[in-house]
Amino acid sequence: MSTRWFAPAPTLLGLCALALLAALPLALTPFEIRVAQQLFLAAAMSLAWNLLGGFAGYWSFGHAAFVGIGAFAAGLVGTRLMPPELAAGWGMGIAVGAGGLASAGIAALIAFPLLRLRGIYFAIAMLGVSQVAGELSANVEWIGGGLGINLPDAAPDWLAPETYFYQLLLGCLAVTFVVAVSVKQSRFGYGLIAIREDEDTARMLGVPTERFKIVAYVLSALLVGVQGALLAYSLGYFTTQSVFRLEFSLNMIVHALIGGIGTLAGPIIGASIMVVLTQVVLGNLLELHLFITGAVVVVMVLAAPGGILGLWHDYKHHRAARRAGAAA
Amino acid sequence: MSAEPILEGVGVGKEFRGLRAVDAVSFSIPRGSICGLIGPNGAGKSTLFNLITGYYQPTYGSIHFMGERLEGLSTVEIARRGIGRAFQIAKPFASLSVRENVRIGALFGRDGPRDVERTVEEALSLMGLGMLAERAAGELTVGNLRKLEVARAVAARPLLLLADEPCAGLNPAETEEMLACLRRVRTAGTTVWLVEHDMRAVMSISERVFVIDAGEKIAEGTPAEIAADPRVIAAYLGADYVLTEHTRSQLAEQ
Repeated sequence: MSTRWFAPAPTLLGLCALALLAALPLALTPFEIRVAQQLFLAAAMSLAWNLLGGFAGYWSFGHAAFVGIGAFAAGLVGTRLMPPELAAGWGMGIAVGAGGLASAGIAALIAFPLLRLRGIYFAIAMLGVSQVAGELSANVEWIGGGLGINLPDAAPDWLAPETYFYQLLLGCLAVTFVVAVSVKQSRFGYGLIAIREDEDTARMLGVPTERFKIVAYVLSALLVGVQGALLAYSLGYFTTQSVFRLEFSLNMIVHALIGGIGTLAGPIIGASIMVVLTQVVLGNLLELHLFITGAVVVVMVLAAPGGILGLWHDYKHHRAARRAGAAA
Repeated sequence: MSAEPILEGVGVGKEFRGLRAVDAVSFSIPRGSICGLIGPNGAGKSTLFNLITGYYQPTYGSIHFMGERLEGLSTVEIARRGIGRAFQIAKPFASLSVRENVRIGALFGRDGPRDVERTVEEALSLMGLGMLAERAAGELTVGNLRKLEVARAVAARPLLLLADEPCAGLNPAETEEMLACLRRVRTAGTTVWLVEHDMRAVMSISERVFVIDAGEKIAEGTPAEIAADPRVIAAYLGADYVLTEHTRSQLAEQ
C-alpha cells in the first residue's frame, strides 16, 4: 500500500477524544449512559455497513442478519459450550469473537451467489437472508430464539454494568472506525470505490472486483457480528425479536445517508443525530416520535442526498468558487 | 514492419446467437507502433477490443499478447499483463477527483502499487491534466474527460493501449492535442491501437491501419495504401473521400 493513512495529529486528537469519552460516564446519569451505548452501537453498525454499502455501493437491506447471527452464536457459545466458571469475564470475549466469526463464516458462504446480484436485487436478497435467518433462529429448537437466551452477567463486580458496556461499545466503535479508515485509504478501499462508481470499468482497470466485494462483505459481517454479540451481552436476555430487527438494517442505512454515505465520519454524525433526536428530544413525545423521525429522513434525503458532509462539501466548494470569482 | 508483434490475432471470431460480430479477423500489431482500426458503425471494432480485453471470449481463433494466449483469461488478468483500455464513452469515476481517478489506474496497474504517486504525476503530465488534478471528474469538459480516460489507462503502465475513439466529440484543436498526447504515450513506451472515425486523425497518426466491415477484415496497410484501396473506399470512406492537404503531405512523407 503506497498511500499514507497514519497522520500523527488526527491520531493524537482521536486518542484524546477517546480517553475523554471513556471517562464521561463519571459525569453522566445511567439513562444518558444507556443513550450513549445506543449511539456507539448504532454508529459502529452503520460504519460497518458503510464498508460494503458506502464504499463498494452494494446496499444491503438485511444486515440485521449479521447482528442476529453474531448474537445467537455468542449466546450459544456463552451458555452451552463454555463452563460456567469461564462464562463471565474472558468467556465473554471468546463468545463475542465466536459471534463475529460465525457472522463472517456465513457471509463467506453466501457471498459468491449474492454478490453476483447488483443494485436493488442484492438489497432485496439481503432482506430475504435476514428474514430466513430470523425465522430459523426462532423456530429451530436448539438455537432457542423463540424462548430466548439468558446470558451470564459479564460485567466485573467493581464496575456498573451500564458503564462496562458503555466502555466496550465505545471500544468497538473505535476499532470499527480504525478499520474503516485503513480500508478507505488503502488500495483495497480505492478498489471498492471504483466498484461503486462503475464495476465494469473497475474490472477493465485490473480491480479484482469479485474478490474485493467478497472481502468487504465478510469484513462488514464480521464487524456487525461482533457488535451483535456485544448487544446480546448488554441485553443479558434476548430473543429473535431483540436482534433480528428490521430497524437495525434500516438504521444502518439511514444513519449513513444522513451523515454522508461512503464517508468515514458520516455514519457517526448520522447516528449521533438520530439517536439523540429519537431517544432524548422525542423521548417524551411517543405519539410524534416516528412521524418526526420519518420526516427528518425524508427532508434530509430530498435536500441533501450527500448527507450533512455532502452539504458541508458543497458549501466549501461554492465558497472557494466565489472567492476565485471575486479574485478574477 | 520489422518490429516484433506485441499483439497477434489469428482468425479471431465472435458469434452472438448465430450473428457473426467478428469473423475470422487476423492482425499483428508491431511493438512500439501506433495503429488504427477503422470501419463503419457496427463493423465489430469495439467487439474486437472487447475480445482482446477479455470482456468477451472469442468463439474461435486465438489472440496472443507478448507470446501468451489470452483466451480464457479474465479481464483483470489481461489488464495485469499490460493491456490498457480507454473507452468509447468516457467512463470517469465522476464523484472522484481527476487525481483519484488516475490513482486507481496506477494502483491496479501492471506494476502493482509501486511508485503510485510518481506514476500518477507522470500520467497527469503526459495528458496535460496537471492543472485539473484536484477537480471532480464529473465537472470536466468532453475534451478533458477524453484525456482523463487515456490518463487513467496510461497510469496502469500498459504495454499496449487500446483507445476506443479517443477523439470522438472533440473539436479540431482538441483532436490535435489528443493526437499529441497519444504520440507522447507511444514515446513513453506504450504501443497504441486506436479505433477512430475521424479519418484525418487516424490517417495522420497511424503507421498501419486495419479496416473491418461487417465483422470481416477487408484491408490492412499503411494509411496511403488504405486511402487508395477500392474496397475501403466502397465500404467506408466513400467515393468523395478527400484527404486534407495536411494529411496528404504526411502520407506522402510515408
